[in-house]
Amino acid sequence: MSSPEVAISIVRRWLALALERIAAQEEELGRLDAAAGDGDHGATMVRGLRAAVAAADKAEGNAGQLLVEAGAAFADASGGASGALVGALLSTTGRTLGDGPYDTANVVRALQAGLTMVKRLGKAQPGDKTLIDALQPFVDALAAQAADQPLAAAWAAALPAARQGAAATAAMVARRGRSAKLGERSLGHPDPGAVSLTLLLQAADAVLSTG
Amino acid sequence: MTRLFNDPADFREELIEGFVAAYSRLVRRVPNASGVMAVDAPQPGKVSVVVGGGSGHYPAFCGYVGPGLASAAVMGNVFAAPSAEQVYRVTKAVASDAGVLYCYGNYSGDVLNFDMAELRCQDEGIDVRTVRVTDDVASAPRGQEEDRRGIAGDFFVFKIAGAAAARGDALDEVERLARKANDHTRSFGVAFGGCTLPGQAAPLFTVAPGRMELGLGVHGEPGVQSSHMRPAREVADLLLDTLLADAPQDVGSTVAVLLNGLGSTQYEEMFVLYKDVNRRLLAEGLTPYKPIVNEMVTSLDMAGCSLTLCWLDDELTPLLDAPCASAAYTTI
Repeated sequence: MSSPEVAISIVRRWLALALERIAAQEEELGRLDAAAGDGDHGATMVRGLRAAVAAADKAEGNAGQLLVEAGAAFADASGGASGALVGALLSTTGRTLGDGPYDTANVVRALQAGLTMVKRLGKAQPGDKTLIDALQPFVDALAAQAADQPLAAAWAAALPAARQGAAATAAMVARRGRSAKLGERSLGHPDPGAVSLTLLLQAADAVLSTG
Repeated sequence: MTRLFNDPADFREELIEGFVAAYSRLVRRVPNASGVMAVDAPQPGKVSVVVGGGSGHYPAFCGYVGPGLASAAVMGNVFAAPSAEQVYRVTKAVASDAGVLYCYGNYSGDVLNFDMAELRCQDEGIDVRTVRVTDDVASAPRGQEEDRRGIAGDFFVFKIAGAAAARGDALDEVERLARKANDHTRSFGVAFGGCTLPGQAAPLFTVAPGRMELGLGVHGEPGVQSSHMRPAREVADLLLDTLLADAPQDVGSTVAVLLNGLGSTQYEEMFVLYKDVNRRLLAEGLTPYKPIVNEMVTSLDMAGCSLTLCWLDDELTPLLDAPCASAAYTTI
């Protein structure tokens, strides 16, 4: 269980590392997006994360409030569908997490609320080739960990489910979002939103594992 | 290739500033928001029509803001829907006591963000309605018209909604007429070359020499089918074969026509194509009404064009003809 101060530090370090890693993959994410979309996913994620990092650095309050502010800033700076969805995921998760406790059981509950909001807004379900195909298996796997397990260990154990979920989108035909208009052309390429979400979860793992 | 920019991250902001500087007689900047509003908006008792979408499509969307047309445009980054926060701020700036109509192309990012803003505005007591443009026949089959994306048909729907609002129609009526305009509008396009985002070295997609993509998207999404390049008269027939097979039910024989350039197709080529579009329309017993051969919804520097038909009637024609002034379209 993390103290409130450690949780604040983890949120800030996570967003900074996520920005660094997504920026390093910006072109690759753009290429994935261009396969059936408009090729701006990498740039959009970087723009959103820059704003989220700045907002979380400036925000006052607990770790939950930092995530709420980061989500609002992400959505506004990114725009598009992914901006609204990832922003809502951060904000809803943060709002549910609130002032803790920052343990596995509570983080699971907060992420489940975030996932529900993303599904409601995006009107997408697993199998539609969206970020949900990485997020849902991850949240399910995290929920399957022992509730009294330390968050870092539970997170690491759940991470392969996100990676596998994102990889599996390559075999899916898009049914939601702009790439849905291209049907079969989306086949063979993983969904960039699922890939970038996995990068976010991996960055969190790296930060959590160092405490 | 997009050549003129400073920091690509500032592209939207700088284009808004330049646009407002150039057309201050028609528009002003919405304070603290990524958007522009008509100099005469909002007007008490008149519905405000708010359009919007990603940048990269000029004159969509800011070029259609002005008296008699859109009240405001919310402008996203290049090819990215504006955020709900920006839609909300622009709506607040132009909301009148008669309410607000959102009108935009049907893309998931736009739908998400405009819907979120609509909910927030309704919570604050602003009556907001939405009509999404779904004219692109290539993007979903017949029977799934509401899933289609919006391309150059935006223009006819915006024009008719803006004219109804300027006439003083109530929100219910402006919404009904915009929906009817959309139901009567069909588009189909061809692409010959991709477009390049500001700061990027390579185009989003390429079309092989001697080939063309049918059913292009205005964000550089590849077409739904590839074909060998054909003479202009065959391209005209291909466009019209597709549109006429998808004609709306129970409509008359007068059609507003828009042959739209995507960004780097020459006007003179488009006139060559229009000659055969006109021939075929007449042969089909259709009467072209005030055709437009112009760039109305572009896709950065994409090569290609689209053909839009809007089947007119006694209700829609006067609205299409009604006076308006905007950077991209003025009629008296």
